[in-house]
Amino acid sequence: METKNWIKLEFPSETVNVAFARTAIALFAAQLDLTLDELEDIKVAVSEAVSNSVIHGYQNNLGTIIVQASYGNGQLQIVVEDFGQGIPDIELAKETGYTTIPQERMGLGLTFIYEYMDDVVLTSQVNQGTKVTMKKNVPNQES
Amino acid sequence: MQYSIKVVGQALITTLQGELDLHTSPQFKADIAAKMEAYPDIKHLIFDVKNMSFIDSSGLGVILGRYREIQPRGGKMYFVQANPQIKRVLQVSGLHKISEFVNSSQEVLDRV
Ligand SMILES: Nc1ncnc2c1ncn2[C@@H]1O[C@H](COP(=O)(O)OP(=O)(O)OP(=O)(O)O)[C@@H](O)[C@H]1O
Ligand SMILES: [Mg+2]
Repeated sequence: METKNWIKLEFPSETVNVAFARTAIALFAAQLDLTLDELEDIKVAVSEAVSNSVIHGYQNNLGTIIVQASYGNGQLQIVVEDFGQGIPDIELAKETGYTTIPQERMGLGLTFIYEYMDDVVLTSQVNQGTKVTMKKNVPNQES
Repeated sequence: MQYSIKVVGQALITTLQGELDLHTSPQFKADIAAKMEAYPDIKHLIFDVKNMSFIDSSGLGVILGRYREIQPRGGKMYFVQANPQIKRVLQVSGLHKISEFVNSSQEVLDRV
């Protein structure tokens, strides 16, 4: 894909940075001709992926999260990556309602990501980390 | 994130402003849980989300947790003036099936 523009953010897994990440990515995405609803979808998807890295990836210990976004050829691509504990069974993790913390969570984050983005690839390795690559179609490129 | 929590009869009315996410939901959860403990006969939960600009699964988790407390008492859950983003999140999560979208808190108080 011919990349027209890109950004890369790297930050510690502090909960306060979840809002920073989704807002920054929404600002970047606003360079494209997206509707307000689509920008909200992107915010939710980024918020879920980054929250998962903080809660599950690093289990509330400090680690590094990298969020990258780029666009070109009619697509916006967002990658959220952590180097934490990883997911042993990805298919199970993707099921709506599946969570490893049932006392307080609902197992909805990944469901939102798949619902709100057009294409999602989730890769993970135990003790190495997790990477969520998500794409949104943008028919009209720049605004 | 700002919120106020008040009790009117058997209803708990929570007015939310701003973004409810992983960072802001723990304090909110603690405050709303404390209020419900102090008023154990609360049956109905009214969330005024007119000025709430963002919610994700962390915020929904807090709301569902409170609902599980009032459900055995035959209570119900209401969302006042939910914007399209919030409505959609509630729909995808399935929470819309166990709650009602309304225009004002008063409308609910008049009924229950
Ligand atoms: N970055 C990650 N690192 C390690 N495990 C993860 C990661 N992301 C997701 N998981 C695993 O996948 C499960 C499902 O994730 P999902 O976001 O759908 O639900 P949740 O985070 O448990 O609950 P909710 O998102 O509703 O708060 C998690 O419970 C966790 O076990
Ligand atoms: Mg999650």
